Amino acid sequence: MNKEIVKKTACVAHIALTDEELDRYSTDLDEMFRYFEILNDAPEIKNHGFNPVEIADVLRDDVPLMEIPSEDCIADMKTYDGYIKGPRLL
Amino acid sequence: MNVNNITTINTTYRMFSAFTDKIESDAKFTFSVSDNLTSKSFETSAGSKILEGYRPPFDSTTIRRMKDVGGFLMGKTNMDEFGFGTFSVNSAFGIPRNPFDIERSCGGPSGGSACAAAVFDHVSLGTSIMCPASFCGVYGLSPSYGRVSRYGLIDCGNSFDRIGILSFKASALREYLPIIVGKDVHDPTSMIQPDLKLGGKKMCAVAVPKQIIDNKKVSKGVIESFNRSIESLKSIGIDVEYVDIPTLEYSVSVYSIIATSEASTDLARYCGMRCGPQDGDYTLKFDDYFTSFRSQYFGDEAKKRILLGTLIRMAGYVDKYYNKALRVRESIIADYKRQFERFDAIITPTMPFISPKFDDVSKMSTLDSYKSEFLTATPIVTGMPHLSVTCGYSEGMPIGLMFTSDHWNENVLVDMAERWDCSFDVKHAEVNA
Repeated sequence: MNKEIVKKTACVAHIALTDEELDRYSTDLDEMFRYFEILNDAPEIKNHGFNPVEIADVLRDDVPLMEIPSEDCIADMKTYDGYIKGPRLL
Repeated sequence: MNVNNITTINTTYRMFSAFTDKIESDAKFTFSVSDNLTSKSFETSAGSKILEGYRPPFDSTTIRRMKDVGGFLMGKTNMDEFGFGTFSVNSAFGIPRNPFDIERSCGGPSGGSACAAAVFDHVSLGTSIMCPASFCGVYGLSPSYGRVSRYGLIDCGNSFDRIGILSFKASALREYLPIIVGKDVHDPTSMIQPDLKLGGKKMCAVAVPKQIIDNKKVSKGVIESFNRSIESLKSIGIDVEYVDIPTLEYSVSVYSIIATSEASTDLARYCGMRCGPQDGDYTLKFDDYFTSFRSQYFGDEAKKRILLGTLIRMAGYVDKYYNKALRVRESIIADYKRQFERFDAIITPTMPFISPKFDDVSKMSTLDSYKSEFLTATPIVTGMPHLSVTCGYSEGMPIGLMFTSDHWNENVLVDMAERWDCSFDVKHAEVNA
């Protein structure tokens, strides 16, 4: 597996790799992709879903409710003036 | 085993990431759950440092339903980080030890749950429970995908995630399954299920995939026990027939591709905000802030699977691997459905070997580890219910026999577990406290 591809993938996934991790994961991913080649000859069915059983669209009435109070939701979050703290955008 | 010396027992077996020994006096029963189910009474970390300290403000639907009928949640059990593993060695909070030999693995991902079920004789709930059930010598029932609400389950693979039951007693499956199943408006995947009806239809005929026989990946001890199990099934009136299921060999690849793709998106939310450690440097740009957290707090296997899943979803890979795997999954499901026109279940060993020693686990390559799940991968990718029962012992370690039935047919599995319990002497592990 080309290490530049693994590096680019890690960047997309927001993971910084050490040189040792880059070497090891490149080898592991290469091994996995070679194993996946077995699917080249596998039978397939065109109409596929994204779940193994059919999933119904389930809609409910748009009724406001508060199952969990917002103060409980943010109790363990780092907040400032009631807003969740995060890194700067610019 | 009573729960009075839980601290001592946990020091030996490390099944719990968190527990209490103050059992409510009016509790009708105690239970434990793997640490990827949210609970108000314990922190929930899913075995990951990136969620360390997270105290959810709500109980998962399964925990709430168990509490509603008088259950007392005794503890959260150690597991592979986000369910990534086969041997429960990828946890940030302790590696559970097998109750039959503490030098060996409990299986994964929900190894702590199987260990707790074996040691405490109580019911434990977990995800991906077949391997742990086999290695720890307990009954494990994984219901159909969508049968049990996933609300409050920290997801690592949306189209695979399922919550199942582990217990030393076969009767526990009939007792607790009706409690945890059912529609839940918080989880749309639970809303299409038919009612669970236990009783009625019994298992009369099972199929054995020819691909299992003479398979060099299955150890001698396992195949001998499996063959004896076939004779036992015949002796209680069950027809056994050998069939060809060629799609079996594709299940590990299909599972690995879809599961890592889903995991890489599921885990994108963990970034040092809202839950878990949030002690980063806010002066960093947001990309750098997120990257620093994820690099520091995700474990090795989690990083590897995120990379694999992210790459699979990228241009140039997504059609060849992800979309292909979805189409092959449909083919595997169709293959199994064809068998269920004639048979009530398909049987295989649960795992191809007995629980390995930790030293041997550390020598396995990533691919070896993934491939060791080639028997359990098919029921997982098909979403079909499956059951593991102990069918023998080799070197003193339990061996599992797995039954897979058609979607929503948990009733034949529950009945089978009880019939098996009457005909096979399941051994208790000798617990050292």
